[in-house]
Amino acid sequence: MTAQEVRLCGLLLQEHFGDVVEKVGTHLIRSGVLTLRALAHETKLPLDLVKKSLCVLMQHGMCAFGAGRRGPAGPVEYHIICEHILHMLRYPRYIYTAKSLYGDTGELIVEEILQRGQMTMSSTVKTVADRLTHNMPEGQSMDYSEVVSAFSRLVETHFLQRCPPMASAGSSSSEAVNTPLPVWSTRMVYIVPVKIELMHKCQGKRRRSSEDGEAEQRAAKKTKTDNSERGDEGIYWQVNFQRFHLHFRDQAIISAVSCKLDQTSSEIVRTMLRMSEVTTPAHAAFTQALSANEIFRALPFSYNIARPILDQYLTLLVNDPMEFVGRTGDSGGGMYVVNLHRALANLARATLESVVQERFGSRSARIFRLLLRKRHLEQKQVEDFAMVPAKEAKDMLYTLLSENLVQLQEIPKTPDYAPSRTFYLYTVNQLPTARLLLQHCYKTVGNLIERRLYETKENKRLLEKSQQIEAILASLQATGAEAAQLTEVEEMITAPERQQLESLQHHINKLDSSENQVDETIFLLESYINSTQR
Amino acid sequence: MTEVKVKKESTDPVDIENRIKELCLQFPHGITDQVIQNDMPHVEVQQRAMAINRLLSVGQLDLLKNSNGLLYRLKDAQSASKVKGSDNQEKLVYQIIEDAGNKGIWTRDIRYKSNLPLTEINKILKNLESKKLIKAVKSVAASKKKVYMLYNLQPDRSVTGGAWYSDQDFESEFVEVLNQQCFKFLQSKAEAARDSKQSPMVQRNSSFATSHEVWKYICELGISKVDLSMEDIETILNTLIFDGKVEMTIIAAKEGTVGSVDGQMKLYRGVNPIIQPTGLVKIPCGLCPVFDDCHEGGEISPSNCVYMAEWLDF
Repeated sequence: MTAQEVRLCGLLLQEHFGDVVEKVGTHLIRSGVLTLRALAHETKLPLDLVKKSLCVLMQHGMCAFGAGRRGPAGPVEYHIICEHILHMLRYPRYIYTAKSLYGDTGELIVEEILQRGQMTMSSTVKTVADRLTHNMPEGQSMDYSEVVSAFSRLVETHFLQRCPPMASAGSSSSEAVNTPLPVWSTRMVYIVPVKIELMHKCQGKRRRSSEDGEAEQRAAKKTKTDNSERGDEGIYWQVNFQRFHLHFRDQAIISAVSCKLDQTSSEIVRTMLRMSEVTTPAHAAFTQALSANEIFRALPFSYNIARPILDQYLTLLVNDPMEFVGRTGDSGGGMYVVNLHRALANLARATLESVVQERFGSRSARIFRLLLRKRHLEQKQVEDFAMVPAKEAKDMLYTLLSENLVQLQEIPKTPDYAPSRTFYLYTVNQLPTARLLLQHCYKTVGNLIERRLYETKENKRLLEKSQQIEAILASLQATGAEAAQLTEVEEMITAPERQQLESLQHHINKLDSSENQVDETIFLLESYINSTQR
Repeated sequence: MTEVKVKKESTDPVDIENRIKELCLQFPHGITDQVIQNDMPHVEVQQRAMAINRLLSVGQLDLLKNSNGLLYRLKDAQSASKVKGSDNQEKLVYQIIEDAGNKGIWTRDIRYKSNLPLTEINKILKNLESKKLIKAVKSVAASKKKVYMLYNLQPDRSVTGGAWYSDQDFESEFVEVLNQQCFKFLQSKAEAARDSKQSPMVQRNSSFATSHEVWKYICELGISKVDLSMEDIETILNTLIFDGKVEMTIIAAKEGTVGSVDGQMKLYRGVNPIIQPTGLVKIPCGLCPVFDDCHEGGEISPSNCVYMAEWLDF
């Protein structure tokens, strides 16, 4: 865990869960694995607070426990899964994706599950239906079956998955967890995907059948029913982050293809990716091979491309230097795959080039791209290829070198590395540079969050005042006051204060949205680095 | 009794010299001492040596050394007349410079080859320059270095830098202008291809331009005072590739089609970048020059960052 990642995790934990959880969490990240007693002792917090914080973290899947160093007989040790904490940055993007794919219902389902960490299907459905009904005009109510169908669709496409079951769900007392459960639960995780297909169907059908009956009975009423009636105790669902990530990756590839080539090619690539969504394993380098016949049949109706034209488009995609699509065989009119790892590498490379361009200018970007292409070059060759005057080229190369974006490789002619008799070659390594930039991104997001907290703190007095005034207004309206009284209360906020409030709102919105923008860069770089590690 | 008079051949020095010169003409590659001896056996070693020395000093004979020994060669009449009046050292230096051809030679190298002290070399070089026999050319690689070459020779490309250098200065604006013109040409070609709405294969093929076409276009534009060759245009197109605006493919072409080199042709076409500027650069932190010094609680921190303050009010 790098220092920047730890800092960012701490800020995120504090924002979402508060100071106590933040303290426990950051301490656990820094120490690696700890037992409960050691954790309580080192953070100097009371034991029950520590237990509760660990509960919260486990509920959200950020903390895991396992048999300690002394074996199953010894105390259990806890460790933090940092990636899951960093995924908190991406929650808005997950919710937005669910909205665009499955509408408001899907959006609310994902939002609820993200907020609670893990939920049973019945409670999710109930909460979401209530929320939707609350926002609808009077007299209408949300049908439970719609919510259930949205839920099952989310599970079918693997966006939601079951949590690995535990014998004592929700309890974190050391005695209960001391049993040899942990080993068993790791095995259960592997069985989850299969169970998703089987169990959810039964669940879904069971839910639908039972709820259809009940829904008819209370069609227009919003009565509360007990959880225990549902009968799906102990089956909790969580968001499948990996699936969302695959979806984002596909989106990035499709938009790159449409920028580089044209709309139709991107539609073809979208079809190919959609067809191989559920069959391709998560970290594969290529999708499943698809024949041209299958692609032709699966194309959306509106596109109406003739078969030979489709073949031409596929040939163009294969011959493109970016190599998004490759041809692996000739059966069925040609077998085609999407080169996932190659596409990720190209996207990461474009990200690096864009950062250099914006930061140092287009000439430095030219030198950077030149070094990426030609691998190793001498100073003189860099000047010649890039057509940049010698002095400026030297200046730019040294700047890039000081920022560690470019490395120097020495090749000696003599065993003593005498400078006059050594070749000095400039080179760019894509992977280490991507890692460096990723750390920069983490630091940047940390800076943004800190700035936001600072802005809020500075204007605390003003915010509190405006909140009080709103509360007074609301109560006055509820008791039916006259217009004069309302305006009098409103004027308690002066005009400059109002302006200040507005600008504060504007600042905070801007900082929020920029966090999301940096998160896009983080996602691309993270996917690229992960793809090279398999 | 007949008086046998052994005819004594004339040992006139001039005759010896002329005889040597004739021998040289007979053997243009050079004659060894042995050959002269065979031809004129009666001439004594001393006289022979004197004759050869005289010819050398006058500059009509060249002294060369090969694996077998010394060779004498007749010097070219013209060059002989040129250096008439110069002394031996000057002739030596002149010869070294001549041998360097049109790449020129540096003073230190002249010193190594002739083994003369530096002061002598400088004097000789000044002398030769005033006689307009040699000239100094500034090298573009190291601006302080001067290379000497014969007066009437054109300096080689590597010394002056070729088409992109005028008077030892790199012509950045010229390169930039050419860069933009080539890019505009390729871009408009790609646009035309895209708008033609034909089948994708035809569209792609028509958006390509060969390097020959680009060269012709630039020549016809007439923005260049210097004649540019196709290689020059290709270097410009390579810079466009490194700018990420253009991509290149090589296809096999029949020998003899216009613009093909060794049976290949290079095709270029304009492309769009595959992603928009990435999220990190939309934030001041992504471009901040003091990014590494920024910590919470320090002189530079997110809370008091002036760049952020300006950016937020934007």
